[in-house]
Amino acid sequence: MFNLIRLELFKTYSKWRTYIGFIAVAVLIPVIMWIMWIEGGKFIQHQLRSLQTDFFITGNLFNGWVIAQLIMNGLWVHVPALIALVAGDQLSGEATSGTFRLILIRPVSRARILNAKYFATLLYTASLVLSIAALSVGLGLWIFGSGDLIAFDKDGITILPENGLIIRFLFAYALAMWSMFVVASLAFFISSFVENAIGPIITTMTVIVIFLIITNLPVESVESIKPWLFTTHMNVWQQAFRDPYDWEKIRTSCLALGAYSAFFWAVTLFLFRRKDILS
Amino acid sequence: MSQEIILRTENLGKHFKNRWAAQDINLEVRRGDVFGFLGPNGAGKSTTIRMILSLIKPTTGVVELFGHRLNASRERALQNVAGIVEKPDFYLYLSAYRNMQIAGSLTLGRTPDDKKIMGTLELVGLAERARDRVKTYSHGMKQRLGIAQALLCDPQLIMLDEPTNGLDPQGMKEVRELIVRLSGERGITVFLSSHLLNEVEQVATRMAIINKGTMVVQGNVEELLQATANKILLNAEPKKKALTLLEKMKHVTVPALSDEGIIATIEPKNIPAVVAALVEAKCKVFSVQPKHSLEEYFLSVTQNGTDV
Repeated sequence: MFNLIRLELFKTYSKWRTYIGFIAVAVLIPVIMWIMWIEGGKFIQHQLRSLQTDFFITGNLFNGWVIAQLIMNGLWVHVPALIALVAGDQLSGEATSGTFRLILIRPVSRARILNAKYFATLLYTASLVLSIAALSVGLGLWIFGSGDLIAFDKDGITILPENGLIIRFLFAYALAMWSMFVVASLAFFISSFVENAIGPIITTMTVIVIFLIITNLPVESVESIKPWLFTTHMNVWQQAFRDPYDWEKIRTSCLALGAYSAFFWAVTLFLFRRKDILS
Repeated sequence: MSQEIILRTENLGKHFKNRWAAQDINLEVRRGDVFGFLGPNGAGKSTTIRMILSLIKPTTGVVELFGHRLNASRERALQNVAGIVEKPDFYLYLSAYRNMQIAGSLTLGRTPDDKKIMGTLELVGLAERARDRVKTYSHGMKQRLGIAQALLCDPQLIMLDEPTNGLDPQGMKEVRELIVRLSGERGITVFLSSHLLNEVEQVATRMAIINKGTMVVQGNVEELLQATANKILLNAEPKKKALTLLEKMKHVTVPALSDEGIIATIEPKNIPAVVAALVEAKCKVFSVQPKHSLEEYFLSVTQNGTDV
């Protein structure tokens, strides 16, 4: 199995498209940092305007942790497209190039080949999330320095002390990785139906956008289905910046996301083992 | 030649929506055969090969390779089998060397050593271009690389589906020579699917013919061709007079007019007497040609040679 995963990783990382995500991240994050640097904390001042009327705030609140958290907030809806770019190509790419005929006549079971591909897809997803983490936290702390974190979300503002932030960020990126695995699994699943890589990317993003719209619809009639949509749980990483942690919510979301990933993987495996390679 | 059967199919069939692409295919390929699998385009050759190589799940029947049933122990059944289905395909963004590594790793479960890869590429004349990306290769080079990939893990059976498709005459000749060499020097059994009759005629020792999804005949090439033995094409004028005369001759059977001339069955020893009799009757005999060919046989058993 290790040999198969190594082969799939080699194939994945030999493709130009694999690096589009990393290049996008490597360009986007420094640009955001540069804009923040130019702005010189106006954004934070704006966010804290109401607080400053009631509280006396001291210290460096415009720091690397804040920037990294802002970047995470800004990117988590867009990163799925970069993941789908690679995950959506894993099976459809083989169909397009005809290489299914090369690999599926070998004395290796289809299940092992699919599992190796799936594992390689998850590793790519993890590496992309880790690159975002390393770049946004590393560059943020280097440019803007350290300090307490003001975490903004729809429920308000939480100020978290500097010590322990690294654990919170590691936890947040682990949760983000877990939710991105669902996106990767969805794109991988769609990839098993089609023979071009564009279809899975567009379909994955369409599903995510539709689910996100439903998730954010303030309509009572859709409230009952919201807990069943994976997009409802995709922002579980924000729980890492709550004080105290809402373990019940984290557990529920992680289970829901894990179930979605497992479902997409299982259905893909079921279909792939029965798939006739006709082209 | 050993009589060990290394590939056997029993009532193999595939049903797509509302038609049978292949039905009741019963093949027997023996060790050391160059087995020609003939049929017009759309006869079901590729479907059959895909079922044998587990790319398609059969609707009916079983495939047995080296004594292992494909549906029960796929990995053992395919361990000594290699193949090219329709056309060889590669990871175009990788070099030939890397493609060989991938193909070899999947079969062996480990990366094949450098010497083996380079030696196999040398065999097909691609060693010097081993590090070039496959997307820079010509069609002929890709075909040769496909054969190298198939040979890499020393298979005992190679399934080749239309291996000379799209090649120029020189390339076709090279592939044919390679097939003969593989069989003769390495003792590899070759299963050669083709719609090119002369290709099969030149290299095959045994063959099967498939038409409209069903198998028409299977056997030793020489023995099967005996059915068309002694057939000649006679070009004489006036044709009708010559035909009437031939019909009356006791050494001649089933003479018939065709676009090319008169086709008849005459034993070689009687040909001079027949020609002499025609000349004596004031018929001009321009040529007498043997019609002992696979094409004749193929047409006689399929009765539909339009695609061939």
